[in-house]
Formats: sequence, C-alpha cells, structure tokens
Amino acid sequence: MSATLIIINHDGCQLLKGSAPAALAAAEQAGGCHVVVADDGSTDDSILYLATTHPEVEVLALPHRGFGAACNAAVAAAQTEAVVLLNNDVVVSPGFLPPLLDDLAADDVFAVGCKFLNPDGSLTDALGNRTACRWHRGLLYLHHETDPDLLTRTCTQLYANGGGMAFQRSKWLALGGFDPLYRPLYWEDVDLGYRAWGRGWRVLYEPASVVFHEQGGTMKRAHAHTQIELMSAKNAVLFTWKNLLDPGLFRRTLAAQARWAADDVLICTPPARTRALLRALRQLPEAARGRAREQRERVLSDREIMAVSRGDG
Amino acid sequence: MSVAPREPATGRPTVLVLTFARRGEEGAIGRALDWLSRELPGARFAAVGTPVSAPVLRAVGIEEIATFGGGRSARQVVAESRRLGAASVAIIYSGPGTRGHLKLEALALAAGAPRAYRFTPDRPPQLVGRWSLLASVKAKLLQAGICLLSGAATCAAACCYLRLRQLVAGGGRARRP
Repeated sequence: MSATLIIINHDGCQLLKGSAPAALAAAEQAGGCHVVVADDGSTDDSILYLATTHPEVEVLALPHRGFGAACNAAVAAAQTEAVVLLNNDVVVSPGFLPPLLDDLAADDVFAVGCKFLNPDGSLTDALGNRTACRWHRGLLYLHHETDPDLLTRTCTQLYANGGGMAFQRSKWLALGGFDPLYRPLYWEDVDLGYRAWGRGWRVLYEPASVVFHEQGGTMKRAHAHTQIELMSAKNAVLFTWKNLLDPGLFRRTLAAQARWAADDVLICTPPARTRALLRALRQLPEAARGRAREQRERVLSDREIMAVSRGDG
Repeated sequence: MSVAPREPATGRPTVLVLTFARRGEEGAIGRALDWLSRELPGARFAAVGTPVSAPVLRAVGIEEIATFGGGRSARQVVAESRRLGAASVAIIYSGPGTRGHLKLEALALAAGAPRAYRFTPDRPPQLVGRWSLLASVKAKLLQAGICLLSGAATCAAACCYLRLRQLVAGGGRARRP
C-alpha cells in the first residue's frame, strides 16, 4: 500500500533535521511512499533547509493558520488513500510504516496510532499510547496506558494521537478532518477519533509502529505553560458540548463543569477553569453546529463509543 | 463536635504541619521545618496527611502523622488535629498561586492553634493570627462562590442554547447500519 507521510511544521527547522531524514528513510524502506512537509507559515529556515538538504521532500507552503488547518490542507492535497500524519518533533523508527499500513487495510478502520516513546526509549508520559476516556464525578478524563506489559499487542483505542497516526484519507474527508473549533491546538485528535467511533469506524493502537516524541517540542517554544493549560481546558469543555449527545451524561457533565470551575479556588490551581469556560462560551454557536452534525451522522451512542473504544464492546 | 485540646505527652510544644506534601516538595518542607526548629527550639512536629503524602512527611522527619482518607471523614481529621493541642500551625505551600491555601488555612483554623506560620515559595515565612486566617478563608470562599456561580451560569447558558438549537433543528438522528 502506498502512503503519504505528512510532517506538519511551524518554525521547526531544528526539529526537521531529526524528523525529516527519519521519515524519508522509513518511506524508502516501505517503498511506494513519499514525504510531504506541510509548512504552516514558518518564518525560520525550514523551507530553505528542506530545499537544500532534502530536495526529494515535497513542501506544501501554507499561510500560518494553525496546526489543524495545516493538517486539513495537507490531507486534502494528498494523492494516496493511506496518509500518515507526523509532528515535526516526532522521529520515526525505520520500520514503523508496514505495521500501520497493514492495520489500515481493514475496511472498518479509520485510523491507527503509533507507539510513542521518549527520545531515550522510555515510555512517554504524554497522552498517546492506547488512549481511552473515563468518567469521574461527571467529568471526562483522558487516559492512556503506561504499563509497558499492556502495550504489546494491536488493540482498539479512543483516538490516535495526531502527532503520529495513519488513517484512510476518504474517511478523514468524510469526517471533515480536524475541527477548527479547537484552534489553536489540543483535543482535535480526540474529537476526530470520537467522531470516527460514532460512525462505527475503529481506531487502533499499533505497538509495532514505534516513534520517538520530544513531548511538546513545538508548543513549549510557542506558548507559556499557563496558556497551554488554558487552551486544553477550553477545548475539553468544547469537546463535551459538541460531542456528548447522551442527555443524562450531558446534564451531569454540565453540572460537574460548574463545580470544576469553583475547584479552581478550592484546590491549588491557577484560576484557569472559569476563564476556560468563558472562552468556550464564545465558541458555543460553532460547537452547536458541530453538535447538530453529530446528531445527524452518529450511529453509536456515547456509552457505546466509550465501551467499544476500550475493547469492551 | 467539641474536642478538648490534649496536652502533649512530651511536654514539648507541638507544631502541626499542614501541607499537600506532593512528591518533589521534600526540599520546601525540609527548609520550613529547619526554620521552625530554629524559631521554636525543642518543638515536636505533627502533621495531617493522606496515605499518599504520609511517606513524604515521614521522609522529612515528622514524628506524628494523622492520616485521612480510607474511610476517615474530614470531621474526624479535624477532631484529631485539635486533640494534638498544637501551640502553632505551619502552613507550607509550594504550589503555584495562593488559592490552594484555602483547604490548609481552613484546617489551620479548625485545629485551634493560637498562631500560624505561613510558608510560600515567593515570600519569607510569615506569622499570621487567627483573624487574618479567618479573613483569608472568607475571601477565598467568596471567590469560590463567584467561580461556582459564573461556571453554573455559563453551563446553563450553554445547555439552553444547545437544547434550543436541537429543538429548532428537529433533533434528527442517524440510523444504525
């Protein structure tokens, strides 16, 4: 199966020096694959570096519109059914591609996520490996597996981390890709996986496909920690407003979110949650449009999605 | 429930240490205990903690730890901290911001010690009285109330808006394949 490997880049010339050669080597080893760098309006020497050092890499120069928009534009331009999305701070292992593409061959599979390791080979603490979600006191929490013994076989997961995932392009386009609701970043991959499950398409985790991820390499340079927390909290709220269609779960979540805002004061966090709720409120009409679309197209309930993505269905 | 303060059996003044004692905070707690040992020579340290924080507290040399969780209510913990009969309370907070003090300050008030020392990462140790602690707790409860109300209003607005949109759209659902 041929595939397009898309590296999303914004001002990451230094990171590309690690990720681009690794992607090229993996593409060559797999055969029939090519590498595209979707450049999200970089102002550094990224494009010059690629043109001079790796002329075989196709560069898609885009205006700076953020991660999700860059992904959507690059996938729309791709020529193959199998597409692999990579962050510019992800260095792939040479043989990472064949297991991903084998899993992707099944008709009901939308996406397959890689196994994320730290650059030193240890298991990453960041969300990515065998993802799931769980409910605690009315709030949705993302969970990922950290026990290496439970990450040895291909299995279902809630979503594939956008930093290293393969997917079927036709299903991506049918889903509308990453939702711009989550701009600038965070939760767009969770949303995509959740919506794919909602349409009855599976998302898999493939431990044989290993990538090395310098966690938050790009984001840490671009945003302060508190900004990242705020973005993530705002998008977590928007995710529930858009995607939770089960009336009982939705009501309980809204009640819990109000309490969650008050917890800012009761526990030791900066007052980010109230601000996150207020920021989410500004995007409510956009979330409502997405919710209406989900109501039209969803074939699995929220509870079913949560169960089957854990492998309980 | 009223609990009479107990005289410490050792005759040494007891300092009740209140801290979240997360992993990695041993240094901050240790420095606070050193400062207290110099300020209150001969003091014995007791603390209230959870099964998670207890090992950290033991590691920094706290002699007596009342743990809560595992079926013990907040009321039982407050009663236990009062029974310690602490002469002073030390609130050691090494997290970001100042809002996390609320739980610790409320427990410090409930413990009934006449004076409290407050340790924060960005300030030298501070001696605070009970009135000052009470004012701080009240202000933070007010803030929590405002956050709760604004959160509830936001979520209610979201709920009404989404329900209305759904009603207008007719709420059609996809059919199972």
